[in-house]
Amino acid sequence: MAFVLGIDVGSGYSKAVVLEDGKIRSFAVIPSGGNYREAGAAAAKAALDKIGITRVEIARTVAAGYGGNMVEFADDTSTDISCHAIGIHHLFPSVKTVMDVGAQYSRAIRLDNEGRIANFIMNEKCAGGSGKFLQVAARILHINVSEIGELSLKAQKPVEFTTGCAVFAESEAVSRISEGASPADILAGIHNAMASKIVTLAMRVGLDPDYAVTGGGAMDIGLVNSLGLEIEAKLFVPDNPRITAALGAALIALEQSKR
Amino acid sequence: MAEEKKGRAVATSTAASIPKFVRGNMSATLKAKEEGKKVAAAFIADGQDEIMRAMDIVPAWGESFSGVCAAKRDAEKYLQKAESDNFSRSLCTYATCNIGFDMMREELGGVAPEGAPWGGMARPDMMLGNGQLLCDPRFKWPQATQHYQQDVPVFVTNMYYPPWDPNGDHHEVEAIYVKYAADELRETVKFCEKITGKKMDYDRLAKTVELSDKTWDLFIDTYELRKNIPTPMDTGDAMNTMVPLTFNLGTQEAYDFYVSLKAELEQKIADGVGVANPEKFRVIWAAGLPSWFALGDFQYFNGKGVVFPVEVTYRGCEKIERLNLPKTNDPLEHIAWRWVRYWTHWYDAAKKRPGSTPKVERIIEYIEDYKCDGAVFHSAFSCRSWHAGIMQQAATLKKVYKDIPVLIMEGDIVDISSYNEADTHNRIDAFIETLAASKARKG
Repeated sequence: MAFVLGIDVGSGYSKAVVLEDGKIRSFAVIPSGGNYREAGAAAAKAALDKIGITRVEIARTVAAGYGGNMVEFADDTSTDISCHAIGIHHLFPSVKTVMDVGAQYSRAIRLDNEGRIANFIMNEKCAGGSGKFLQVAARILHINVSEIGELSLKAQKPVEFTTGCAVFAESEAVSRISEGASPADILAGIHNAMASKIVTLAMRVGLDPDYAVTGGGAMDIGLVNSLGLEIEAKLFVPDNPRITAALGAALIALEQSKR
Repeated sequence: MAEEKKGRAVATSTAASIPKFVRGNMSATLKAKEEGKKVAAAFIADGQDEIMRAMDIVPAWGESFSGVCAAKRDAEKYLQKAESDNFSRSLCTYATCNIGFDMMREELGGVAPEGAPWGGMARPDMMLGNGQLLCDPRFKWPQATQHYQQDVPVFVTNMYYPPWDPNGDHHEVEAIYVKYAADELRETVKFCEKITGKKMDYDRLAKTVELSDKTWDLFIDTYELRKNIPTPMDTGDAMNTMVPLTFNLGTQEAYDFYVSLKAELEQKIADGVGVANPEKFRVIWAAGLPSWFALGDFQYFNGKGVVFPVEVTYRGCEKIERLNLPKTNDPLEHIAWRWVRYWTHWYDAAKKRPGSTPKVERIIEYIEDYKCDGAVFHSAFSCRSWHAGIMQQAATLKKVYKDIPVLIMEGDIVDISSYNEADTHNRIDAFIETLAASKARKG
């Protein structure tokens, strides 16, 4: 029996994954809030509590993400980009192009045959292709972010946004509401605008099948649907896409623990 | 109030003398009046250096002033001042920072505002612009700042070089561009003669140009020592050691600086001293001006075993013999040839590689010569004319050369609001992991 721990302290959520003998035994996702140090520790504790163990029983811990350096009890750190790559390669070994839609950033990562990073790119300082866009949409439509995906699939005539900018799209969405567009059509339009931006980003690292979507954005079935249409290919989506980087961190910890 | 700035160590002790150079240039403008010299608002890489030096005109470098403000993290007040008169933040922040300073100085009757770095720069007696191909603000910057200093005469020339055409022969048209550039320089001399009331001493100009040529040669001889493994000097230092070449060309001080730097690098090589120990990866700074407020990022790279033995940025010279310049007794024509050939001498190499461009060919040449494992580009949002092409250069590099790891950093030259340290370091870390993966693939 050997436990290892991976933690991903993201700008929106902190995630922790516990592996036992190389298999996911437990995981937790909590909001990061304003204190990354505490968020990393809290996510780890939540994951450990689920299986009734403490940090003492963890052979090795690797932390990643925006606040990864603040996880004081971690044995090592890695970048969330590498962790996403490793996590996706573990889940879907055939994937070569990963699109990670996080709360603050979206990223495209191209993998080699061994799952190592061949190239990566992050979006510019723009909310247009990130989860922030979905949060903005939820706020204007007075719905929960988790409702967006299902609702958008009911769209009859997706709104065509004239901009990929979240700030301008917000005022455009308000205009469309006043014109009578349905929330479903507005959300589907937002998904299409986001998908266009994310796939354009991925093209910059070179589109190479198979493709996967990960990060919190991958929980939105409407966005995944739009991405699939934009890229014209099947997309692999983890069962728990928010924990992919934490899983990658745990796999690094596992590898290191064997040395 | 300026934000606290992290200290930055330099790898070479010679580079540590650069602040004195920069400060000396700025204080020279403040002393010029009492020395009976004229001050010219000037812009780098305009081909006008030797004319100014030979006529004892003191250059007031706008880019240097703005870079210093940025490095001190104290540019915001000048940017805001320019913005208050409707200069957009998306314009060149070298220009808007400098224009904001000029506006404040005019409001104070020509006296530099309190707290200006190193006393600021003096009100110019003239402005020498040059709308060349590198930088679109060069056409309008002098005119924009003249709006606030309407009695200061402006002279904007144009120094062009043949545009890249993979199907054309630039050799057929080079002489036309040289004649045009030389004529522009002649008009610059006439303008300077009118403002200073002095005639150009062409013998002195010829000697100044000769000294510049020697400095170009020495600069390249010095920088090529960085091919050594481990490299004795990093781009982080080069962003400082470019100062004498860029701002003091045609002076003995500039030449002497590179004599010292070369001696130091030779000693470091003899002693086996490198920038990073161990040197894990060598990467090229392939394009883009740096974020002057974040030069410490080079040390972040170095601390992780990544070194930059070469950069495109501020390597504004070449060994004169490699340019194959036609002989001429006219120093202005010589400057014009040197200017045009500096740009076109990569054209022939680019033609030999289908799909390549001179800028990409230059990067490839440096990658090969300096044995680089990857390339870093910096995209500064307010510097459009250079940085707008960076993505294309990176894509072309991968397409026509090989799929080497590339990092595109994003920020600005002066505007610190564009910068996010955590995000930048995260990208650097991921890039280093990409370099490691690339090396692992090669075995």
